Amino acid sequence: MSTPAQVWSYRTLIANLAQRDLKARYKRSLLGWLWSLLNPAATLGIYTLVFGVFLEGTAPGTGDGDHPAGIFALYLFCALVVWNLFSGTINTSIDAFRGAGQLLTRTYFPPECPMVAGLATVLLQALLEAAILMFFMVLITNVSWTAILILPIFALLSCFAFGLGLVLAVLNIRYRDVAYLMGILLQVWFYATPIVYNIDQVEGVARTFIDANPMTAFAYAMRQAVYSLDTPTATNWLVMVVSAAASLLIGWTLFSRLAPRVIEEL
Amino acid sequence: MANAIEVDHVSKEFRLQKDRAHSLKELITRRDRNAGTDRFKALTDVSLEIPEGAMYALVGHNGSGKSTLLRCIASIYRPTSGSVRVDGRISTLLELGAGFHPDLTGRENVYMNATILGMGRKQIDRVYDDIVAFAGVEEFIDSPVKIYSSGMFVRLGFSVAVHVDPEILIIDEVIAVGDAEFQRKCFDHLYGLRKRGVTIVVVTHGIGTVETMCDGAAWLDHGVLQMTGTGPEVAAAYMERVNAAERAEREAAEAAAAAEAATSATPLTSGVAAAQLEDVRIDRVELLGSDGTPTSFAVHREPLTVRIWYRAVRPVPQPVVGVALYSSTQVHVTGTNTKIDGVDTGTLDGDGHIDLSFDELPLTPGDYELTVAIDDRYEQHNFDRREREYHLTVRAGGRQAPEGLMDLRGRWSAGSGR
Repeated sequence: MSTPAQVWSYRTLIANLAQRDLKARYKRSLLGWLWSLLNPAATLGIYTLVFGVFLEGTAPGTGDGDHPAGIFALYLFCALVVWNLFSGTINTSIDAFRGAGQLLTRTYFPPECPMVAGLATVLLQALLEAAILMFFMVLITNVSWTAILILPIFALLSCFAFGLGLVLAVLNIRYRDVAYLMGILLQVWFYATPIVYNIDQVEGVARTFIDANPMTAFAYAMRQAVYSLDTPTATNWLVMVVSAAASLLIGWTLFSRLAPRVIEEL
Repeated sequence: MANAIEVDHVSKEFRLQKDRAHSLKELITRRDRNAGTDRFKALTDVSLEIPEGAMYALVGHNGSGKSTLLRCIASIYRPTSGSVRVDGRISTLLELGAGFHPDLTGRENVYMNATILGMGRKQIDRVYDDIVAFAGVEEFIDSPVKIYSSGMFVRLGFSVAVHVDPEILIIDEVIAVGDAEFQRKCFDHLYGLRKRGVTIVVVTHGIGTVETMCDGAAWLDHGVLQMTGTGPEVAAAYMERVNAAERAEREAAEAAAAAEAATSATPLTSGVAAAQLEDVRIDRVELLGSDGTPTSFAVHREPLTVRIWYRAVRPVPQPVVGVALYSSTQVHVTGTNTKIDGVDTGTLDGDGHIDLSFDELPLTPGDYELTVAIDDRYEQHNFDRREREYHLTVRAGGRQAPEGLMDLRGRWSAGSGR
């Protein structure tokens, strides 16, 4: 079983793996790094158009009170950044473990390493998106010290997503259905999280269901800190901390137990 | 001396995958869930000790569990039972260039690969130039490795692995890469590592390597340890078994062919000779063993006849027939012909053969290549020349072979006084 300390001792390898992924990602493309901005920009544009304009979605007023009617695009953007970090981590974990298979059967290193490297690249992308989000917030002068809460929110969310990613990655080697299943599940999960809509628009059983979704807490916390310029509630923090800790603990334990056996099948 | 590696009653089982559920649907719908769990025992109760600073070889035919054992030592696989104790930093060379990304440059891949093998950034900086020079890819180091020739790719991979400065180096049949010059560099480098006290474990089919370079060796057969001992001891025992098996196989094939010939009524028809421009050409070359029958390999210090079958379409008076011998590392061992040896070949006409015989073959075990040629009597015209076309495998006989390529067979004696 690899301990976090063992993984840490391979940090040069992790840094190199992450660097390799980043370097190779946009090789031979004209726009290069611009793609990592264009992708979320396109998603944001489409969602704003469909859910904000066509379906007339509304957002609450901004935290500074200058825009009482709310700015839907930015309200959406806050939650989208959080979601991209979540889904990105899960998808990257699955890919990273499968991609490292060839290496893992030829030389020894903790099998968590390629996945931590994958997480690092996703986190970098999330920080980039957060920076753009903050750029717009500064532009409309809707900023406060609470923006700094992005960091603990990202940290907790990374743990939550990474724990899930570990389990899914190892299962995916045995049953290739996992990756496909996750494609569908993530879509459902996306709409079960208040991202393209305001949670106050939902009532009844659906509301209970959405409230039980840990991702709701993360999306809400992000909007509180960046959009409403307020601190997330205590319950909010509790949900985030507990789900992050539980996911990481269970994920790491299961992965450490199963990975050595699974590597022989790669 | 302390042991670098201790393998203690290690067994390793694999689940055979043929019947395993590969999708969730199969997992749920299949009833006889235990039917598919066939197990394959790759290693059975293997124990051995490899002393610090030794060069140690694992021999055995394909599928004997050598690579599995290497992976257990490198802790890539976890033994099903038993334990492996390793004292020192391991560098593995199981596949060259593993982890190279085709789109990244040679430089980027060197750093990547070296960190996979456990090196830090500063360490790599220090040996970076050596790595590139050793691989001989200076000009291409800033190009993506996908444009590399396969030789360059493999050389760079090997170069990184041996510069990792390991305490224990594990090599799986990868020494036989690259051209002759690179191979020599590899052996020189391994020799250097050994002098510094690096423990080297190799899987090899080169019995010559085991005999000449290895302090110790272990022989595995179907996952069961057959014997351990010094390199020459194990090599000799292993080769004896292989030789015996091959001889038995050949005899069985011959018996079958004879039985078939007896029942078959049609006479063998020889095909019309292909249009032959030269007066004589080499038809084929045969090796005859100690019993005068064709063999596929020779044995050190045992009789061998190289039989050169020719086909002459016109009479050829007193041609010069030559044989040259090269080692697998392309060293020109020796060469001779009928003129040098003062032999009159007479006039060749029709089909026939010329023999070059040895009572006790003075070649050490290993792989050799033969060049065979027929020239006219003045050595001005070459009728036919087969450049390194024939393969000669020399195996160890019952006795220990000397080092190098030749068995000098000199006589030792001692005297006293001064």
